[in-house]
Amino acid sequence: MNWRYRFTLFFFLLLFALIIIRLFYWQVVRAQELSAIGQAQYDEQVVSQAQRGEIKTSDGFTITANKLAYLVYANPKVVKDKVSESDVLGKLLDIKNATVSALLSENKFWVPIKSAIDNSVKDKIDAQKLPGIGFEEHTVRFYPEASMAAQLLGFVGKDESGNDKGYFGLEGYYNRLLSGKNGFAIVVHDAGGHPILAKMNDSTVKVDGRTLILNIDRRIQFMLDTELKKGIETYGAKSGMAAVMDPKTGGILAMSSFPEFDPAHYQDSPESFYANPFITSAYEPGSTFKPLIMAAAMNEGLVKPDTRCTICSGPVQIGGYAIHTWDDHYSPNTTMTDVIVHSDNTGMVFIGQKLGLNHMLDYLQRYGIGNTTGIDLQGEEAPAIHPRNEWYPIDLATATFGQGIIVTPIELLDAISAIANNGKRMEPHIVAAVQTPDGQTISIPPKIIDQPISQTTAQVMTQIMVNAVNNGEAKFARLKGYDIAGKTGTAQIPVAGHYDPTKTIASFVGFAPANDPKFIMLVVLNQPSASIYGAETAAPIFFTVAKDIFTYYGIPPNE
Amino acid sequence: MKKPLLLISFLGIIIVVLLLVRISMINSISTTGIKLVDIQNEIDSYNKQNEILKVKYLQAAAYTNIASKAKKIGYVPVKSDIDLSAPLPLALR
Repeated sequence: MNWRYRFTLFFFLLLFALIIIRLFYWQVVRAQELSAIGQAQYDEQVVSQAQRGEIKTSDGFTITANKLAYLVYANPKVVKDKVSESDVLGKLLDIKNATVSALLSENKFWVPIKSAIDNSVKDKIDAQKLPGIGFEEHTVRFYPEASMAAQLLGFVGKDESGNDKGYFGLEGYYNRLLSGKNGFAIVVHDAGGHPILAKMNDSTVKVDGRTLILNIDRRIQFMLDTELKKGIETYGAKSGMAAVMDPKTGGILAMSSFPEFDPAHYQDSPESFYANPFITSAYEPGSTFKPLIMAAAMNEGLVKPDTRCTICSGPVQIGGYAIHTWDDHYSPNTTMTDVIVHSDNTGMVFIGQKLGLNHMLDYLQRYGIGNTTGIDLQGEEAPAIHPRNEWYPIDLATATFGQGIIVTPIELLDAISAIANNGKRMEPHIVAAVQTPDGQTISIPPKIIDQPISQTTAQVMTQIMVNAVNNGEAKFARLKGYDIAGKTGTAQIPVAGHYDPTKTIASFVGFAPANDPKFIMLVVLNQPSASIYGAETAAPIFFTVAKDIFTYYGIPPNE
Repeated sequence: MKKPLLLISFLGIIIVVLLLVRISMINSISTTGIKLVDIQNEIDSYNKQNEILKVKYLQAAAYTNIASKAKKIGYVPVKSDIDLSAPLPLALR
């Protein structure tokens, strides 16, 4: 009998050993693999996509929104009648039949046909009940005003991981704020695939992107866009740009540039169109620079409006170069007021000699020339000015009338705004406030960067600039009844070491009403062909937009 | 012997009752997941409709769209403004 007990004991021991070995195999050797298979059966990681923040103009209109879009895909193995489906899809998706047919003939389970189609097209395809055709939902950026302010807004593309990323303009500068943060949740399913309520586990909550509320006034932006485009066509310019700013706060009310691109289809335009030239393109400002130098000399007490120029009777010789006036007309003993009114280069050389290099460079620094303004747009550039020891007398002389020195339009606009704002220079800003997803609004307060000139100097300079508008070269285009302070600019373009007399950058900078400025505007045209002068090209655009702004703001004429 | 039998029977009944309650509760909440999916689908559908309507509204309210429609039906921009700051005398001799 003993052997039977032993046999039974051995049998059970062996059985237990086998069970333990099997359990070890499942729970230790293949534990990870089996756990993953199990989790795949009942766990699902759900990514909760954060909604990208919107961009609104100052009137609350959403100028950049999100729109539902769909990717149309096919499972070619399920598609039976490839010819008729290609025909239907080709017509509805506006793709060649042959292209769709080639996709449907691929030996794959999933082929994308077209992305970013809108809801109405999806509904039409749905109605056809085509076998093997499906949709993947996603969101795309939507720009109701199409290409209006495109270079200011920027666009949304993809990063290396295929995630949305803002490029250029506001989309680029505020990408982190606009993006928000995706949420992840683990949902446990029952055998039927339904989520089990008690087992839902929210690991991270999504945070939607923040909404930007801009200083941009949509009405002024529309007026500026329309008139600038019309002006570029009328005067045959290669390109053009303009911006309107509130000089008291630095808030940018409008900013336009042409040629433009459609941010929703940015791939269709050359990459050179993406950057905003108002903050990136450097140019010689010409006579629009003169008020800055004149104001600096007056601020130092070196000249007064009635100071007379003692070197203005003819061309001025400096370092072997002869400096002429733009029309070769000379006014001996001209006053400083008339130097600005008639845009007299020799008068500016006289001021430069009074001011000297050290004062000049100090003032350029205080006006922000050579430094970025800090505007909240991606890609701002600021060409550096020569170091102090590299300035020659001819450089000082030409810089006084805006040649031989380069600035970006935003630098010039911001510097001139100091004259309009009682000497205070504000930081230009596009965004006025940021709105959190829970509706809280965080305002961005205006910021004073510097006060390069005194209030008195600013007021005197304003009057000189009003005189320049009323009695200068652009007086034919001025708006009667309004006090507008302004200055024309016609800068020659340096080509291969010399200035091309036929190619100019024509501009006009001004602010109004002169006694209590509500806006300052700079219009720049690149190589206008109808006339090379700022007074005959940029100035009329300025006054047309100014007239519209007066009507919009309800500012009556004072005559 | 009778007392333990009674106690055991009582406990047995309690266990059976509790089991029945548990089964009934599980049964009642077993469809909550399905309801949850339905509610979620309904919310998604309303959200989608809102998104579509919002896009339509923004398209209609865009200045570029209004300007092009106005141009199509023959509206032209005003060429000159009339200002009332210096009114003409009514009886001018």
